[in-house]
Amino acid sequence: MPSADELQILGTSLSVAFRAIIWSLPFAIAAAYTLSRPRLPGKIVWDGLAHLPIILPPVLVGFLLLMIFGRRGPVGAWLERVAGIHLAFTVEGAALATAVMTFPLLVRSIRLGFEATDERLFEAAAVLRASPFDRLVTIALPLAGPCIVAGAVTAFAAGMGEFGAVITFAANIPGQTRTLPLAIYTVLQEPGGESEAMRLAVGSITVAMCGLVSAEMLQRWARKRLAG
Amino acid sequence: MSDELEVDAQVVQGAFTLDAQFAVPCDGITALFGPSGGGKSTLLAAIAGLKKLQRGRIALGGKVCEDRAANVHIPPHRRGIGLVFQDARLFPHLTARQNIAYARKRAPAGAHLEVAEVAEFFDIASLLDRPVSNLSGGEKSRVALARALASAPDYLLLDEPFAALDGARRRNFIETLLATHRKYGLPMMVVTHNIDDATAMASHVVALKDGRVVAAGPFGTATQLPAFRALLDSGDVGSALAADALRKGRADNIARQFWLRADYVLLASERPQAISARNIIKGEVRVLLPEESGSVLVELRTPEGVILSRITKEAAAELALVVGTASWAIVKAHTLS
Repeated sequence: MPSADELQILGTSLSVAFRAIIWSLPFAIAAAYTLSRPRLPGKIVWDGLAHLPIILPPVLVGFLLLMIFGRRGPVGAWLERVAGIHLAFTVEGAALATAVMTFPLLVRSIRLGFEATDERLFEAAAVLRASPFDRLVTIALPLAGPCIVAGAVTAFAAGMGEFGAVITFAANIPGQTRTLPLAIYTVLQEPGGESEAMRLAVGSITVAMCGLVSAEMLQRWARKRLAG
Repeated sequence: MSDELEVDAQVVQGAFTLDAQFAVPCDGITALFGPSGGGKSTLLAAIAGLKKLQRGRIALGGKVCEDRAANVHIPPHRRGIGLVFQDARLFPHLTARQNIAYARKRAPAGAHLEVAEVAEFFDIASLLDRPVSNLSGGEKSRVALARALASAPDYLLLDEPFAALDGARRRNFIETLLATHRKYGLPMMVVTHNIDDATAMASHVVALKDGRVVAAGPFGTATQLPAFRALLDSGDVGSALAADALRKGRADNIARQFWLRADYVLLASERPQAISARNIIKGEVRVLLPEESGSVLVELRTPEGVILSRITKEAAAELALVVGTASWAIVKAHTLS
């Protein structure tokens, strides 16, 4: 049975990953929809920007977040002044770092959903008096729905394991920002921590596999439905 | 002037250029006729607003939908022009009922076409709650037509909606279209390259070839233009004849007119006696047109309109046909589809 500490760590990880998805989902949907438009100007550049977190070292992402959202960063200072919000070295900061890192995964999956939707259905909706926004809400989103959910599940599972950006931006504070990978890292620093690391690893792998399997099942269901 | 669909449309698509000018009245059914690749679908997309014009103007009943010179482009969802696509394009995440309701919800206030009424009219009530992927081609076409009607358009464009149907189901769909037109008074433009289908439906015709209008106007007269005749297969050359003109034979069809093929019309220089054909129409020879194949196309002016007959050169000589002589056209009623 997991100990109270282990449960708390799992809870922190779940909460961080969950908040990350909730916050990044609207932006990811908007980005994916924009990127799926065939005639988007400067598409290569936007596409590159959306994918940047995948190829940058996570530590660098964490550092950039510190520069922007840290207490002295332009956005961080403004947030503190206006709303009294601290992001650096807090659990909200861990969620932000996770959101940035998982953003490309989310965008990729959702974009596939938008691109798989027959463009001609939008024409059919247009001649039935549906405005462009109406078409987005009533045709594009429902048809991409399974891909949105699948992307969210994958990103959630991946977010559980985010390390470099989180430790740089939110640090490794026990009981606050210590997520599963940070806890594994911590116990490995101590002699004889391998068995504890194994226990944490099992939890981590279980959550990740559940996420991937449910994402795949959703994708299959989506393909079947869109083929109709 | 104003109760017309006025089109002056130039659309460039790669190597293909549509350059079409015509006006048809906003009542009745107009057949958009011509070979495939002639730009019929492009023209419908332009009228509906799905394709922007490079140059030109489109107006419906005096209301400007698009005018490049004045930089006006009303988007498709505000034109009030419906379009039924060849491939139905039902929304796959909705049932048939929800597809129709989608259109009904967006219809202008005051358009009272309930889903149940439309469904009953199109005989699709039993399949309303099925997912659209379970519908047959003919059922999809009918649901698509019902959906278009439920959005209460001012004008309805149909892009060969019965292309996938054959035989009885095709005739059935055309009759449904005619009934729709009669009941709801909805003006329509229907794409077809089948002359019998066009004749069964249309009061007007616009013929399109290589992106240009080669003939346009009231069906009976426009179909007699040489440019229109050139679009037809040799065996399809003929003329439109009002159903009332034929006294006997077939009473089962609701079409107002038939396409009478020249090959199915015999000529006699005197009124024939003792003959089984029930339809004998007297006329006057107006034109004798020798054809490449060696036959002669005889154009007869009759009280019922123009009738064409294709006879051999020898027969023409034997009958001593010259322009101005009286002649009797003999039509076998069964040849009319």
